[in-house]
Amino acid sequence: METAATKAGKAANKPSRLAAAWKHMKRDRQLLILFIPCLAFYLIFRYGPLYGLLIAFKDYSVFQGIWDSPWVGFKHFEKFFNGNDFALLFRNTLMLGFLNLIFSFPFPILLALMLNEVRLKWFKKSVQTLSYLPAFLSVVIICSMVIDFLSPTHGIVNKIIEAFGFEPVYFLAEKAWFRPIYIISDIWTNMGYESIIYLAAIAGIDPTLYEAARVDGANRYHMMRHITFPGILGTVIVMFIMKTGNMLRIGYEKVLLLYSPMTYEVADVFSTFVYRKGLLESNYSYAAAVGLFEALVALVMLLMANFVSKRLGGQGLW
Amino acid sequence: MVGQPRFTLFSLVNGLLLIGVAIATLYPVWYILVVSLSDTAYVVQGKVFLWPKGLNLDAYKEVLQDSKIPRAYLNTIFYTTLGTTINLLMTAIAAYPLSQKDFFGRKWFMLLIILTMFLNPGIIPNYLLVQKLGLIDTFWALVIPNAIWTFELIILKSFYESMSTSIREAARIDGASEFRILFRIILPLSKPALASIGLFYFMGHWNSYFLPMIYLNDSLKYPLQVVLRDMLIFSEGNRSNLVDAAALAPQALKNATIVLSMIPVLMIYPFAQKYFAQGVMLGAEKG
Repeated sequence: METAATKAGKAANKPSRLAAAWKHMKRDRQLLILFIPCLAFYLIFRYGPLYGLLIAFKDYSVFQGIWDSPWVGFKHFEKFFNGNDFALLFRNTLMLGFLNLIFSFPFPILLALMLNEVRLKWFKKSVQTLSYLPAFLSVVIICSMVIDFLSPTHGIVNKIIEAFGFEPVYFLAEKAWFRPIYIISDIWTNMGYESIIYLAAIAGIDPTLYEAARVDGANRYHMMRHITFPGILGTVIVMFIMKTGNMLRIGYEKVLLLYSPMTYEVADVFSTFVYRKGLLESNYSYAAAVGLFEALVALVMLLMANFVSKRLGGQGLW
Repeated sequence: MVGQPRFTLFSLVNGLLLIGVAIATLYPVWYILVVSLSDTAYVVQGKVFLWPKGLNLDAYKEVLQDSKIPRAYLNTIFYTTLGTTINLLMTAIAAYPLSQKDFFGRKWFMLLIILTMFLNPGIIPNYLLVQKLGLIDTFWALVIPNAIWTFELIILKSFYESMSTSIREAARIDGASEFRILFRIILPLSKPALASIGLFYFMGHWNSYFLPMIYLNDSLKYPLQVVLRDMLIFSEGNRSNLVDAAALAPQALKNATIVLSMIPVLMIYPFAQKYFAQGVMLGAEKG
């Protein structure tokens, strides 16, 4: 980041560099004062918790505090990897993240392409506005809707199933249904607002391309297939890589509301496990160790996504 | 010929599919409203679909007489207002020095900030810190540990950077302090960007349940979402074989509460969607 010139300057004479820095600081003192709250915030609340991570290597007890609790090395990690928890959580987190990515990803793109084909301004605008609505609703409300709709006694889905003469399904109590429920409700929530990005990409396509195609006798489908879609492909790829990098960041707030001991076997992910072990069972050290492992895996995923993105000639994600 | 609405099979199918999307989006919200206005007896029998049956406002009366819900509503309003104000103030101030190209240590400060997007120590260390600082069971636990969202900070910083520097330079030459420049010149010109990030902060506070759930112990301090979540877990009879009418009785009450919690959001969202789209785009460009 530093230029060769500044590096050479650093080697040549330190004192004058220090003096220059001091002068720079003095010149920017007002800005620095304005920056203090921000700096304090980041140091305390974003870097401060890293100190608390120490307990992953200790047997933390509330009475002894973080520093005085005894060191135990990798005990919690060993317990985690040797027990059943690791395999289960890893599989669940990966499966849920992966399936959600694969199934959810096309919907915002399709919606954007479809909206783009609408010629009636008011209709396009109405559908678009409506499609953002779920993004404004809280996860509690969304889960409440899910539970209501799937209720075995009065839920509309089961009413339809019964109308066809079948037995009602206890959707939220059945393992096989957890992932579909999670993914479908995610699509419902995010489709509209994620389409914004693709609509903007479509708006950026050179209109003369369409003119030329029209002159050549292309119909709407041809144009969508050969101009619009290739035009947004770059955005699609960047979004896909970005989402892959964030794949393991499961919406655990939603999982917490939808899962139950009956579905833990497929629904329990790293974060929900950390929450239960740590905050409900007060097993802080073990939970912190699992949390640390999760953070490391997520970090690796993100770095890999960035690497791929750069390799493909696109810009990095940051 | 451009834009001529030619009625083809393609546009018919496309239009119908989009109508389907619109219905699928709207119906769950509509259903909640309908149930909240219906007689519980019909709801339990599963006879309510499109229109309220046994139309009444009992559930809403019950909400108002409830011991927890009105208070939780006020709590949410209070947390959201104060929280969003603090978020906006902190972000607006923090983004300004960072937007100055030759600000002392700018590169290092930015690195310090960006790195936090990759480091996520997790629930437990954050909890221990909040506990250590004595913020548990206070409103501050919901605000201070997330006073600045890095994403929104970067969005605002980019916005400041995109502004013309000439007014700023002129003010500086006239001897105006940085503080004055920020509050008198920069902020009034940044209203669209502030509205955009303010919307995200607002939604974040209004809709959050997890942090209040873990940081607040006193149920008198619960915001609406936590109370709703408790109602949800309470009606969890849904998930086992223990379903009976009694467990479902609070259905209308719960939905009335949801409707009330959605009202402010539904009121602002058609107007706010411009800022919402703007925020998503700014975020995407930066991200």
